[in-house]
Amino acid sequence: MKTRVIVKLDVKPPYVVKPVHFEGLRKIGFPAELAKKYYNQGADEVIYIDIVASLYRRDILFDEIESTANELFIPLGVGGGVRNIEDFSKLFHSGADKVIINTYAVQENPEIINQAAQIFGSQAVVVNIEAKKWDNWYECYSDGGKVQSGKDVLEWVKEVEQSGAGEIILQSIDCDGLKKGFDIELAKQVVDSVNIPVVVSSGAGKLEDIKELIEYARPSGVAIASLLHYDEYTIGEIKNYMIENIIGVSG
Amino acid sequence: MNNIVGIVNYGIAGNVHSIKKAIEKAGGVVQIINIKEEFNSVDKIVIPGVGSFKDAIHELKNDNLFESLKKAIISKPTLGICLGMQILSSIGFEYGKTEGLCVVDAEVHPIRVEAKVPHVGFNKIDVIKSNKLLSTIENEEFYFMHSYEVVNFHDVVSTATYENHLFVSSIQKDNIFGVQFHPEKSREAGIKLFKNFIEL
Repeated sequence: MKTRVIVKLDVKPPYVVKPVHFEGLRKIGFPAELAKKYYNQGADEVIYIDIVASLYRRDILFDEIESTANELFIPLGVGGGVRNIEDFSKLFHSGADKVIINTYAVQENPEIINQAAQIFGSQAVVVNIEAKKWDNWYECYSDGGKVQSGKDVLEWVKEVEQSGAGEIILQSIDCDGLKKGFDIELAKQVVDSVNIPVVVSSGAGKLEDIKELIEYARPSGVAIASLLHYDEYTIGEIKNYMIENIIGVSG
Repeated sequence: MNNIVGIVNYGIAGNVHSIKKAIEKAGGVVQIINIKEEFNSVDKIVIPGVGSFKDAIHELKNDNLFESLKKAIISKPTLGICLGMQILSSIGFEYGKTEGLCVVDAEVHPIRVEAKVPHVGFNKIDVIKSNKLLSTIENEEFYFMHSYEVVNFHDVVSTATYENHLFVSSIQKDNIFGVQFHPEKSREAGIKLFKNFIEL
């Protein structure tokens, strides 16, 4: 199976921003425009995460999502501030194909994963992991890397798989936005711990980083933000690189 | 012009929005079907698919659409997408055993593969029986997102392979079509599929 190339849009409505270390924010553009641009470049999927909805306990902005989904004929995963089944439903009706959840599940009610999977199907329920590295373990964080949960990443991913999650997005708080490469050890441990697809995010700074990640950890997908947002590479260039370097990639 | 495509809107699941957009992009006219009477005013039917087999059947019955849909499928060209294809079958085994719409002689089982499940991503299909729906897009890639597969021996139009596991990627029985992938999420190839469906 080819490794999916996924674009990650971190959104602080109305802008796509680029968080550095989950802290400082740089405005990149509008989600609908960027989604269209990356679709035209050949992206396999778009992930849209409202990075402030959860922290400020405010509602997700459905209009923003609807306009992003417009004219986007590839899958759109949406997350940020999802707290109940109604949120899931509204997001699907706004054009999301998958709903991404972290904070509410990891901090308050893991049971929501199972409830959502039963109603919407596992394939539509994605759990986002914000991993923070400690001496000999990784801890799950939430709210854009701001709140600890005390949960061990490797135990949590197995729990969410058991609960019916269909996919995991793995972010590394330590590597996010730094463009110094992925935490490939973390990625490998998570990929090997579960039987559901794992999409690895956080850290791509050069094309070789992607090759190293895929060859070492074999994730189902790689999520990219900075490399694209600053126009260093197009999706086409990234895919060509992957094809030429033997890594399977969606045409 | 008898070419209104009705999308069945059932339950709280369903990706009606995405499919509507894709059909309109393909030049089609869409009507959302919320109540059974609305089957009368459409010429073709699309059954979307996000959710579980069990819930989908439950919701169709709850919304009082089940029997009318079954009847409509017999007389109007129908396209089931992903779960919408799966529920055309006789029986599904997702969260227990559930009887489906029974218009295609098939069963729906967990996908039998020694690899990550769900099967997610763009994948090529292999057309084994030429078919109007897949005309000119036989060699394209389509987006798959599923944990279950249709098991059928009579009506297979195309297959696909996921990590050495061969499975059914589309079926056709008379004017009933089903695709395991998501044409509404498969770039231009998916739009072309809808165009083919509209032109049936």
